[in-house]
Amino acid sequence: MTELTPIGLLAELTHRCPLGCPYCSNPLELTRANQELDTKTWTRVFEDAASLGAMHVHLSGGEPLVRKDIAELTNAAHLAGLYTNLITSGVGLNAQSLTELRAAGLDHVQISIQGVDPTRADAIAHFKGGAKAKREAARVVVEEGLALTINAVIHRGNIKDLPAIIDLAVEWGAGRLEVAHVQYHGWAIANRASLMPAREDFLTAAKLVEDARKSLEGTLVIDHVIPDYYAERPKACMGGWGRQVIVVTPDGRALPCHAAATLPGFAFDNVKDRSLAEIWETSEAFQKFRGTAWMPKPCQGCDRAEIDWGGCRCQAFAITGNAATTDPACALSPEHTKLREMATADAASGISTYRFRRIGG
Amino acid sequence: MTDPAPKLAPGVKLRKDAKRGTVLLGPERILELDDIAQAIVAEFDGKRRVSEIAAALAKEYDANADDIRTDIENLLKDLTQKGYVKP
Repeated sequence: MTELTPIGLLAELTHRCPLGCPYCSNPLELTRANQELDTKTWTRVFEDAASLGAMHVHLSGGEPLVRKDIAELTNAAHLAGLYTNLITSGVGLNAQSLTELRAAGLDHVQISIQGVDPTRADAIAHFKGGAKAKREAARVVVEEGLALTINAVIHRGNIKDLPAIIDLAVEWGAGRLEVAHVQYHGWAIANRASLMPAREDFLTAAKLVEDARKSLEGTLVIDHVIPDYYAERPKACMGGWGRQVIVVTPDGRALPCHAAATLPGFAFDNVKDRSLAEIWETSEAFQKFRGTAWMPKPCQGCDRAEIDWGGCRCQAFAITGNAATTDPACALSPEHTKLREMATADAASGISTYRFRRIGG
Repeated sequence: MTDPAPKLAPGVKLRKDAKRGTVLLGPERILELDDIAQAIVAEFDGKRRVSEIAAALAKEYDANADDIRTDIENLLKDLTQKGYVKP
């Protein structure tokens, strides 16, 4: 049992998406449409999450708008008492669909962008016309008076456009901008050599964000998700394992983080078989790395143990082959130098081709 | 001195929660409010000005209006910086 209360439910409604971004956080093995949970099951999951104490639901994917029941799902989450956040590419969001979603109780929209120049942005998303559709989607969101967040995923191909990206967020009327450096899981790890920025470019970007936060105070809130490979200390991934967030995959598996399915030796419970409360409180997967008891040195006894909770388990596994070791993003990890060397080599690789995300890819 | 009529930023909701008390909910963020903060934020309706809110709360809580106004302005500054409120 746990006394912890989740804050948010990340509902990956589908893995289907018209875009093919090479840094997609979905797993390489994507779930097909016929495996997706139905409306009724999602409704129960939303109610369970609210009863557990969650306040936010992030309606995500894939592209959540490809679900024909997206308005119904939004309404179910809203009626359960959750703050509803649509995480979308913007493709498929127009005045009509937005009016419908708003009536269903949508509170906030997050639109991802790939860059400022439409041709280059569409090339990264592997989808022609995407940039134009996003601009139009942002316009209708703001026109409807809904809150808008722009999520800009940053990598070597667009890191130097950051000033223009910040300007774009302001021009589009966003209240919040996520400057999200690619996190190397899923498709991004397969494309790491093409995506990794140089360290000096990251440092420039960090300074830009810091300055923009000051100059745009009261206009635009900027959240900065830094690339772990250039960090000195790891992030509290998902706010710590099994502490704040529950991810439910399109086929109903409940995970402590969206990449957790890549970890070996886990049987993840499915919301079709067990209630969310039961999974949160007693499942092996959620308890495995919860708290500090599992930690090895140097995490064990570290004064940051309850700040970063040992960092990211999936990254520890991806780099070291052992999920129960210190996240190599930490400078105290024996593998930290190796991580930094990988980043340096990737950044200088000169590779500029991508393996685009696709089902069956 | 300016006398704005603050309101919650778009997408921000004031909610009561069984486990956390009164909170401000925004995209990807949550802020638990103490008793004083929630009494003040509940008055942010985009119509009434800080001076009016200060006067009303001073009367309600039998307190000094200038002190309350200082409390409101400090909270307003903090919540504006965090993007929860628009002055």
